[in-house]
Amino acid sequence: MTTAKTKNSGTSLLAVIDKNRIYIIFAVVLLFMAFFAPKFLNPFNLTTITKTMAMTACVGIGFTIVMICGQLDLSIGTVITMSGIIGLGLKQFVGYELSVPLAIVAGSLIGLINGLLVTKAKINSFIVTLGTMTVLQGLIYFVTGGNSIALSTPDAFAVSDFLSWKIVPLITPRVIVTVVLVVVAQIILSRTRFGRSFYMVGGNKSTAWLAGINTDRTLIIAFVLSGTTAAIGGVLFAMESSAATLNLGTNSLMYVISAAIIGGTAMSGGKGGVIQTFVAILALEILYDGVILFGLGNEVKIFLAGLILALVVLYEAFAIYKHEKTVGQRPELVKELQK
Amino acid sequence: MEQTRVLRFGAFASFVNVFGVYLIALFFLLLGIALQALGLIQNFISLSNFLNILDNVSLLGIVAVGMAFVTYSGNYADLSVPTTMALTGIVAVEMLRYGFWPAVLAATTVGLLIGLINAVVVGKLKANPIIWTLAVNYVTLGVIRLVWANKQIYPETITDNKEAIGWFDGIFRQEVFSNLFGNPLLDIRLPMVFMVVLVILGQFVLTKTSFGAQLKMTGSAKKAARFSGINVDFVVGMAFVLAAVTAIVGGLAITSLSRTGAYYNGAGYDFRAVTAIVIGGMTLAGGRGSIIGVLGGVLVIGFINNIMTLIGIPTLSQDMIRGLIFIIVVGISAKSLRSLGRDDS
Repeated sequence: MTTAKTKNSGTSLLAVIDKNRIYIIFAVVLLFMAFFAPKFLNPFNLTTITKTMAMTACVGIGFTIVMICGQLDLSIGTVITMSGIIGLGLKQFVGYELSVPLAIVAGSLIGLINGLLVTKAKINSFIVTLGTMTVLQGLIYFVTGGNSIALSTPDAFAVSDFLSWKIVPLITPRVIVTVVLVVVAQIILSRTRFGRSFYMVGGNKSTAWLAGINTDRTLIIAFVLSGTTAAIGGVLFAMESSAATLNLGTNSLMYVISAAIIGGTAMSGGKGGVIQTFVAILALEILYDGVILFGLGNEVKIFLAGLILALVVLYEAFAIYKHEKTVGQRPELVKELQK
Repeated sequence: MEQTRVLRFGAFASFVNVFGVYLIALFFLLLGIALQALGLIQNFISLSNFLNILDNVSLLGIVAVGMAFVTYSGNYADLSVPTTMALTGIVAVEMLRYGFWPAVLAATTVGLLIGLINAVVVGKLKANPIIWTLAVNYVTLGVIRLVWANKQIYPETITDNKEAIGWFDGIFRQEVFSNLFGNPLLDIRLPMVFMVVLVILGQFVLTKTSFGAQLKMTGSAKKAARFSGINVDFVVGMAFVLAAVTAIVGGLAITSLSRTGAYYNGAGYDFRAVTAIVIGGMTLAGGRGSIIGVLGGVLVIGFINNIMTLIGIPTLSQDMIRGLIFIIVVGISAKSLRSLGRDDS
């Protein structure tokens, strides 16, 4: 009782900072760019940020849930590309009314396959998703023959115009869809028993099973959600630009992994949140946008994105390393570290 | 009584583990012959085609030998291999202006640096190997894009030093046996020789040295290895360094053979190497398999690629089939190990 009390009252400033680090990073990046980056506060530029963010943030929802479960989904990049190709490629045959749902269902299907392979065939999720990623890549090249799809019919442009319509400054329909999805996902994760089960499975699978959670089903649902949100993000982005290129999702994996880890989702599972990933993606987008505004070019942006991912993974690994070094040796030291 | 049965079974299982992959290779060989007999493909059965198959997979074989050590150590794969190959090649081309050997030296240094970084971070700090090497892959790609943008660089435009260019161009095109014996039928280029030598070397290190034994222990039971006094951090790190070494050889070879230094050199080698390793009977849980098996896996990939190309499937779409085979093989291997009670993954 007393220990709990001292823990609560004695939380050091550092712990608070580390817990809310993503909001602080976001504020710092935003303020820095607002003050120093040329034309950053221009509404046109801000809208570009929210638009770019919308796809990655949408993809980040499912990816974070998979990571909370202690797994990894490397196939999201190709699922994004695939959904764009399906959504736009089938439009001329069945129209958006049918092609968009088909694209999203295809994404869910890939997620289902991933989930089944991970739970039923008991293959490691890195390996499974590396495999499905490769298969999908080959399939996409096979179907498209390596060509991008661009639509130039009036109705496609009408949809594109609607999706980029600024309801209020900065906010387009796609942004609203993304934010709604993020909020709903976060509420489910933190407020429902179903949502908490993801954390249980990620934290300790055997304990979760003993506590009566159907771990296999939970994992499969996580992968299906990941495939679904990746497909939604991809197809909406493709519809807005009326074009689906074969490298639509190429860099998304890098952005989303770094965002999830910066947002505090542990690679080992059991910790994290969709909102945090969302804020991290926003912060990263602002940073990359600022890089371009400073006139540093796309090359610097790619380099920076990779570097950030590496640094974040390194930081995370180092923290765990430090923690494990002290565990079991001097309990009082561990306590001190956890403060 | 009970024990002998188990022992015999173990010997049989290990035989299948090492040589089972050659049965798969034989299956694809027969498949190719059958397809040719049915008239679906031409030119499969010929000495030149078989040499061609070996030649095509020799780079993959070189890279796979090093990566196999990473898999064997229980760290799945080194996904930084593609850009390590690209960067070493680009650096070599860029440094050709100072001569051939300085170029090779610089490329090796750069490659080893990447390997050492991986070794420290995964070995010592125990970062997740997949995410970390993926991050390194992105960073290396970023460095290439930052310094050389999207450009391809060619030896001829870098330097006028004819001798250095000649060496760099020629070295991996050396036709070893036809030069030695004057027989043009034995059209064997240096990468193939490299592959065979590395396989033999790798198998020797894995089975006959104390490092190999330590690696096996680390791969199969890391905690037990640590408690029995093995420097686990060093062993795992060394595996990543070895992966970098073969990636350097592969990177130099691919750059020399294509006469181009570019960021996309080596793309896809990560996944193909893992596929070869897994088909070759090495389990992703670590500690099981052999380099001889990996060579078999590489051969299988060679047959599959060759048959697909002869059928007329475009190169980029071939990933579809390779990926499917990969998933199926991994699934079967995980299942069979589980049913033998040898794996809990």
